[in-house]
Amino acid sequence: MGKVLDWLDYRFGLKRSHYRFLQRRVPSDLGYTYCFGGMAFTYFLMLACSGLLLSLYYVPSEKEAFRSVVMITDEVTLGWVIRGLHKWSASLFIISIILHTIRVFVSKAYRPPRDLNWMIGVMTFVLVMFSGFTGYLLPWDQKAYWATEVGTAMARSVPFIGDNIMNVFRGGPEVSGATLVRFYSLHILYLPLSIAVLLWTHFHMVKRQGISRNL
Amino acid sequence: MTRRAFLINIIKSFFALLAAGVFAALWYIYPSTAKKRRLQYVFVLDDDELPKRGVRKVEFKYSVDDSEILNRAFLVVGEKGLNVFSPVCTHLGCYVNWDNNRKEFLCPCHGGRYNVYGQVIAGPPPKSLNRLPFKIESGKIYLGVTV
Repeated sequence: MGKVLDWLDYRFGLKRSHYRFLQRRVPSDLGYTYCFGGMAFTYFLMLACSGLLLSLYYVPSEKEAFRSVVMITDEVTLGWVIRGLHKWSASLFIISIILHTIRVFVSKAYRPPRDLNWMIGVMTFVLVMFSGFTGYLLPWDQKAYWATEVGTAMARSVPFIGDNIMNVFRGGPEVSGATLVRFYSLHILYLPLSIAVLLWTHFHMVKRQGISRNL
Repeated sequence: MTRRAFLINIIKSFFALLAAGVFAALWYIYPSTAKKRRLQYVFVLDDDELPKRGVRKVEFKYSVDDSEILNRAFLVVGEKGLNVFSPVCTHLGCYVNWDNNRKEFLCPCHGGRYNVYGQVIAGPPPKSLNRLPFKIESGKIYLGVTV
């Protein structure tokens, strides 16, 4: 490692505590299909970075949201790049997760003791889908509005408490400015933090259990 | 090139990419409209060209950052003197027209209607037409625009 990293490591002791992880033996017959999980995590990091940047200009209010997105795309220097990165990373994130899931399934890596990790992975996937759904509303254009109108209306099909669930999602009986603020909060605080915690447990278990042998 | 050197190069170029990303992020963070906007008065009309009572539409040109801008405004002479309104509908930004028979500003897009004082009478507009600053100096009317 370089001098700077060594200087840091001397004080931080990252290498020592992760020595077993960094120097572990990895089966030599792993193919590229074992990269999907890492790809998904890379997209997660890219989403976090571009999302932090977008939040500097985005205004989560009924009146300003759409205008601020137009401003990010057309006026802010490189704004279209950052927005594009966020959008494409989001789609590719979900695709990578699905590919990763297929790989785990095909290589039977879901069997004990990795069954809990499979469950954590499924929970992460659900939260990521929620992230996608909440993020879709934020541009506050017609497509976003009606997608959310239809999506939140699905909650009504739950027996007995369907309407209540829908009201909780919408922050009222209709999709309104309250819904936008709710979705914004979920999208930038609750969901990313929950996903980060779940991913930490996910990686922790991979570290402890090692990579499952191929079929 | 050995496999090890190749991989080290890959890692190095990854860090170079990261550095480029940081620079792009800094560039993105820096406000693109750091230039201060100021009010500039543009000559539009001699005041003897104004109607005694009523509305007159004017078009005027000025330049911002070397690009020429054609703008319009309604000069309204009422009991309290001159008022200048922007023709941009406060709903979604269409140009409103003055209907001299109904004495109303009409928006062709979604049917917004404003009275002669620029106040909303009907339709979707959320607020009155914007007033533009103006001044009259030695018989000439100047409108204030931000450049």
